[in-house]
Amino acid sequence: MQSILFILVPAIPLGLGVWFLFTRRFRAAEVMAGLVLSFAAMIALAVTGDGMQTLFTVAPGVTFVFRSDGAGRLFALLFSGVFMAAGFYALTYFKHEINPARFFAFYFFSLFALESLCMAGSLLTMYLCFETLTLCSFPMVLYDRSREAVAAGIKYLLYSIAGAMMGLFGVIYLTLHTTSSTFVAGGSLEAELLGNPPALLLIALFVCIIGFGTKAGLFPMHGWLPTAHPIAPTPASAVLSGVIVNAGVLCIFRVIYFAAGTEALRGTWVQTALLSLSLLTVLIGSAQALRQKHIKRRLAYSTVSQISYILFGLFLLESTAAEGALLHTVFHSVMKTSLFLCAGALIMYGGTADVDEMRGIGKKMPVTMWSFAIAGVGLVGIPPMSGFLSKWVLAQGAVQSGMPVFYWLGPVVLLVSALLTAGYIAPVVLGAFFPGEQEISTRAKRAPVGMLAPLGVLAALSLLFGLYSVPLRNAIDTVLNTLF
Amino acid sequence: MLLIAFCVPIVGSALIFTWGRKGKRIRRWIAILSTLATSVFVCLALFLEPGRSYVLLEFTSRMTIAFTLDGMGKVFAGLIAFLWPLAMLYAFEYMEHETGENTFFGQYLLSYSMTLLIASSENLFSLYFFFELLTLSTVFLVAHGFSHRSMYAARKYLYYTLGAASLGFLSMISVLVYSDTTTFVLGGIPALQQAPHTMMLLLFVLGFFGFGVKAAVFPLHGWLPTASVAPTPVTSLLHAVAVVNAGVFSVARLAYYVYGPTLISGTWAQTLCISMASFTILFASVKAVHEQHLKRRLAYSTISNLSYMLFGLMLLTPLGLKAGLMHMIFHSLIKLTLFSCAGAIMVQTGREYVQELRGLRRQMPIVMTVFAFCAVELVGIPPFIIFQSKWALVTAAFGSGHVMGVIGVVVLLISAGFTAAYLLKPAVTAFALPIEKKPEEKRDPGWQMLTLFFVMTAAMLALILLGKPIADYLSQVVGLQ
Repeated sequence: MQSILFILVPAIPLGLGVWFLFTRRFRAAEVMAGLVLSFAAMIALAVTGDGMQTLFTVAPGVTFVFRSDGAGRLFALLFSGVFMAAGFYALTYFKHEINPARFFAFYFFSLFALESLCMAGSLLTMYLCFETLTLCSFPMVLYDRSREAVAAGIKYLLYSIAGAMMGLFGVIYLTLHTTSSTFVAGGSLEAELLGNPPALLLIALFVCIIGFGTKAGLFPMHGWLPTAHPIAPTPASAVLSGVIVNAGVLCIFRVIYFAAGTEALRGTWVQTALLSLSLLTVLIGSAQALRQKHIKRRLAYSTVSQISYILFGLFLLESTAAEGALLHTVFHSVMKTSLFLCAGALIMYGGTADVDEMRGIGKKMPVTMWSFAIAGVGLVGIPPMSGFLSKWVLAQGAVQSGMPVFYWLGPVVLLVSALLTAGYIAPVVLGAFFPGEQEISTRAKRAPVGMLAPLGVLAALSLLFGLYSVPLRNAIDTVLNTLF
Repeated sequence: MLLIAFCVPIVGSALIFTWGRKGKRIRRWIAILSTLATSVFVCLALFLEPGRSYVLLEFTSRMTIAFTLDGMGKVFAGLIAFLWPLAMLYAFEYMEHETGENTFFGQYLLSYSMTLLIASSENLFSLYFFFELLTLSTVFLVAHGFSHRSMYAARKYLYYTLGAASLGFLSMISVLVYSDTTTFVLGGIPALQQAPHTMMLLLFVLGFFGFGVKAAVFPLHGWLPTASVAPTPVTSLLHAVAVVNAGVFSVARLAYYVYGPTLISGTWAQTLCISMASFTILFASVKAVHEQHLKRRLAYSTISNLSYMLFGLMLLTPLGLKAGLMHMIFHSLIKLTLFSCAGAIMVQTGREYVQELRGLRRQMPIVMTVFAFCAVELVGIPPFIIFQSKWALVTAAFGSGHVMGVIGVVVLLISAGFTAAYLLKPAVTAFALPIEKKPEEKRDPGWQMLTLFFVMTAAMLALILLGKPIADYLSQVVGLQ
């Protein structure tokens, strides 16, 4: 049963993608069925529990393995769920395009790559899926094939491949120096390397994490993100910012917690460097977001900042912080997708992408703006929104970790960044609802239900998670209990 | 069989030189038939008479021209025999757009024979002999058309290869002096192991650069990008596969079969050679990113990839040799296809520069798709074939325990990033909108060129799954099993 599901889960989106690409036409029903089926297959896989499946061996020592475990399932369900929402939105968004089949083809390819990444059972498989993800998702950035879009797509491609090569360095080193060829909760580094880690191990880990951090927009490899995310069509920017960045998080999570083990990193210069980089990224992202007038670019910089919250939590190597990180992964994914979908509706039906021109738009597009407000407030981290919960747990973890300097620096940076977040979200929301004396945007009209429903549901979810998240926390605790 | 295989192309080219002027059809029939016949005979020789040795000429008792097909020779000969007919077919269509078909096909056939002779040389003397002859038989192919640029390229090619080969000559003669024989022995000629050590290392380094000139190792790489003015079948088959791999092959012979890994391993000579290869990898990748002419860019990419192989070889472990040979096979397939794409673009649309590729997919969907596919392959993304050889290279490098091994891994990965920059970027722009909106007529080439593209793509896809048998066979060749 499970072995069939291991094939079926990636096969559904892959097959549909190929179908759309070669027939060059699609029906809304096919897209919907594909999205729902993928999600359902993923749930079915999740229900069948842990398992392992060898896919194929290309050369001695180069074996590709799929594996179903708690962490993978958590990410996979999140990814395919959010993909489903954004996919429904895309059906309405692309209604007026001549031939969006190409977009949906790569949309499904990306889903395929993401699900495979979640199920990857070894470092090599993970690397393979990481590269596949890059190749499958960058055509979405290219969608309108304008000069800027092509430049952005190439930037994304080259950054990601450079990152993947850095990642590969660590993957090679770890593959040669771990006792198990597959992921093991807690890591399986050779015992003699643990006590006195050689410099090469630390360098390999550092390079590897920075490399995989490319997808997660970790400084100094974040440059592509604010260029590529806004220029893609909205459903693509939503999943790029809400989902695909998390692929980087997952890879880093796997490298640290499932291959190298936390003990290899604890207290080394690598941990210090990574923590500093992630905090720096948090600040850079928020500060840059404040300066942007284009709403999607503002949200893209916000992603840079928010994902580094998650990375900060993971780099603390502490169970509460890791819990906060995983919670924030889920919550941020839901909120940011919702925000991007709102932004797309605002641009399409509000007639402007400039945040300063959105004054009074809340009267014309109430549902969109309310969703934006709810998700935005969650992003700032005000209770009872979900964003508050994850940030609270993160800060708690930072204090508990007892890392010198970082135990207070972390929460302080989180607070400063929360203020900055409020600074770039609140004016948009306030201006939209309380335009004051200024001229009100008149071109705006209501977005169709096909777009409002997905973004509304995601915004509602972000509120719901803040009020009741016990099952989610239980699931995360089960994952983390095996690690610490 | 082997002897027939050598003779057929020579006879064929003689026929072309004598009768070829009578007409296009007769010329082409001779060319394709003799190529196919040669390939068939090579295959027969591979399977039917392994290890049989022939002595062709005896200059003195110590200097003989002798042949046998051992494991490594089989790999090279088999590769050549597979690629040559395809490239010949491609050349038929390509040469419609050029003049001087007669001399071209004659020499093209002749160089087939020379490459085979290099692959199956049994001793260093014959290897050196045919190494020089290969230069001579290909120099007029570079000079094809006799324009100023091609003459310059041909002169440069001649000076570089003949000049450097004299270093190889020194190395070869000294081997003869010290050991009385130059016959290849896996692990090194025994008599050389007792010879003065420093002297041997010095001679090896001379030989490395002397034979490495064809593998375009820095600082002897200059001829290769210049030579890309030659007609594309020459650049694709000779300067991406046959000639340059002959260089790599000779270095492998020198390191593993003449001087021997035990002699060189861990010495300054090894460090020097690995550093040179690593530097070439980086240097050529950077040059490739800056080069705007598509064929020259590919030529720099070839230089970089050849040094991957040299890097693998100079690890001086069986795993390193295996990885180097594996990369030789896989890279040949990909680079031949890439060059053929570039040539097809040139003759069909007249575009030579990378910027001009913009939007070309509309006009040449098949060629550009193949180009993009090969670009992804060459970057080394799993599970495609170059990933397998790169994986073998890096594991061999880590396993060698040499400090340069780790540095080399870093170099390989950086270079892979550059590969993405210089190949994927044009591939992606080709899929973007064209600058000018003209009526789009399909301009994919005819069946002769397409055959090459389809067969090669199929081969590359098949090798994803056949990688394991090849790796196993190579392990056997290098003596791991």
